[in-house]
Amino acid sequence: MTGKQKKQLWGAVQVALILIAIFVMLVPIIWIFLAAFKTHVDVYQLKLFFTPTLQNFGTVFDDPYRLGDKLFNSTIVALVTVVIAIPIATLAAYSFSRFTLTGETTMLVIILATQFVPAVVIILPFFVMFRDIGLLDTRLGLILVNLAIVMPFAIWMIKGFIDGIPMDTEEAAMVDGSSRLQVIRNIVLPMAAPGLLTAGIFCFIIAWNEFLFALILTNKNAVTLPIGLALFKGEEGDLWNLLSAAGIIIMAPMFVLALLIRKYFVQGMTMGAVR
Amino acid sequence: MAEVVLKNLTKRWGDFIGVDNQSLHINDQEFLVLLGPSGCGKTTTMRMIAGLEDPTDGEIWIGDRMVNDDLPKDRDVAMVFQNYGLYPHMTIFENIAYPLRVRGTPKSEIAPRVEKAAEQVELTQFLNRKPKALSGGQRQRVALARAIVRTPRVFLMDEPLSNLDAKLRVTMRAELKHLSRALQITTVYVTHDQIEAMTLADRVAVMKHGVIQQLGTPDEIYNDPANLFVAGFIGSPAMNLINGSVQNGMFVTTGGTRLVPLATGDRERAVLGVRADDMHVHEQGQGDIDVTIYAFENTGESTLLTVQWGKQRVIARGDRHLRKEQDDVVGISLNADHLYLFDPDTEERIRI
Repeated sequence: MTGKQKKQLWGAVQVALILIAIFVMLVPIIWIFLAAFKTHVDVYQLKLFFTPTLQNFGTVFDDPYRLGDKLFNSTIVALVTVVIAIPIATLAAYSFSRFTLTGETTMLVIILATQFVPAVVIILPFFVMFRDIGLLDTRLGLILVNLAIVMPFAIWMIKGFIDGIPMDTEEAAMVDGSSRLQVIRNIVLPMAAPGLLTAGIFCFIIAWNEFLFALILTNKNAVTLPIGLALFKGEEGDLWNLLSAAGIIIMAPMFVLALLIRKYFVQGMTMGAVR
Repeated sequence: MAEVVLKNLTKRWGDFIGVDNQSLHINDQEFLVLLGPSGCGKTTTMRMIAGLEDPTDGEIWIGDRMVNDDLPKDRDVAMVFQNYGLYPHMTIFENIAYPLRVRGTPKSEIAPRVEKAAEQVELTQFLNRKPKALSGGQRQRVALARAIVRTPRVFLMDEPLSNLDAKLRVTMRAELKHLSRALQITTVYVTHDQIEAMTLADRVAVMKHGVIQQLGTPDEIYNDPANLFVAGFIGSPAMNLINGSVQNGMFVTTGGTRLVPLATGDRERAVLGVRADDMHVHEQGQGDIDVTIYAFENTGESTLLTVQWGKQRVIARGDRHLRKEQDDVVGISLNADHLYLFDPDTEERIRI
């Protein structure tokens, strides 16, 4: 074999390997995608060709499933979590980045360490506390829990972005006549905007997908989409077609967001990671 | 417009002393240059005047007001940063307008003032661009325009030319000088480049280890250095410093060469300072002493001869038509009117 042929063969092998990897990753999603458009009967046959139906998407929103309520809960919980988390995390990140604080490193490590605590460990205290103060099965309760989950992540990530803004620029703004808050509003926020957007979307995804806490802390009113999936267990067995339709409804916003942040994704991750 | 007075100003970080109990009176409309090697405390001094750094001790006065506790925004100073500190997300117009906008200047007034400032630094055609689209020199001008768009009481410039290439630096230096004469605003200028200091300053404060070594006009600093450090720092090439002793009214090098008569008492150790321009180059045997050329450099406007002098090397400036080769032997004589003697232990000047 000549060198050129070797190169071509190696190229083909690489493409094949990548295709295999993609296939492995996509199989469940493809399966769900197909199942969502099948009738209950078709689901149990591994048919690739069938008459697609949109019926499932209608059924999941009707009684008794009422997926719309769950969708509403998920949207509210995730959105409000982001809207509260990002401003607070930005201020915290700014302070960590720009001021010399007593015990700064310790605080940062503690904030990070909360991420290492297994959720199962703290879920019971949360349950008991929420039961006592009446936050069980409320959206507010879920928002609080989600805040606790996303905040450390948001603070670290945004801090990376703010660290990347040259000090000169901020000092110039201060000498030019800005107060600290004006510096943050006029200089830091616009310059860190891609970072804030990325962090916000990440937090949204985390809150949107959050399962364990929602499972334990809600039962009726505040049930979110991931928990809603459990509804599709009927007397006739698992309703895979409905489950899949709901799954697509859960995934769709994630795909849209992933497309939106594609540009900032790598930048955001590396900036947060390297610094 | 105002004078700036520093009283016993000190800045310490733990055990490290940035600025050590320094006092300085900068006159109204004066152009004062803080000159020194990196880490000498010059930038720290300026940052304390700007309010970006809190002094550990001492007082800072701008005009008739002590500004120690004032925020940077309340000190009414304008600063040009080494890396320009432009706002990358704003256009050039918005960059220059920012100090006016944030201070609540009426909108109708902003545009004409920005345009006037842009005109002064020849930036008018770039007002709609972002800083990213400008060259280093143009960015520098934006930073300048942003400083002069208001009439601050004090200008602070932190090595504003150090990021420019050599040629541009010379042009911008002249523009700065022209501008500062036109504006007549008290200016504090930090640099490690002694040529910038010499050309721009009304007075120069040479700093080392947080202490002002000498404060004077460029002339005084160059012709009458107070100590070894100033002598060695000012001038290009730096002043030749020759170790030796004074015996019976003659300076004798460490190698034992009797060099020049000096009207001073005997000293066991002394350092003789002589600038390259005050060392005259002759043919072999015609100077005070014959030396071997270590390196011969032709700069175009003159020639520089690094000569081996016992164990030391000294630099002499020769005529621009002089042509010599390495290892040639030439005669050197010293201009007796411009010799400086220093005490190697205290590093202080010994007045002859």
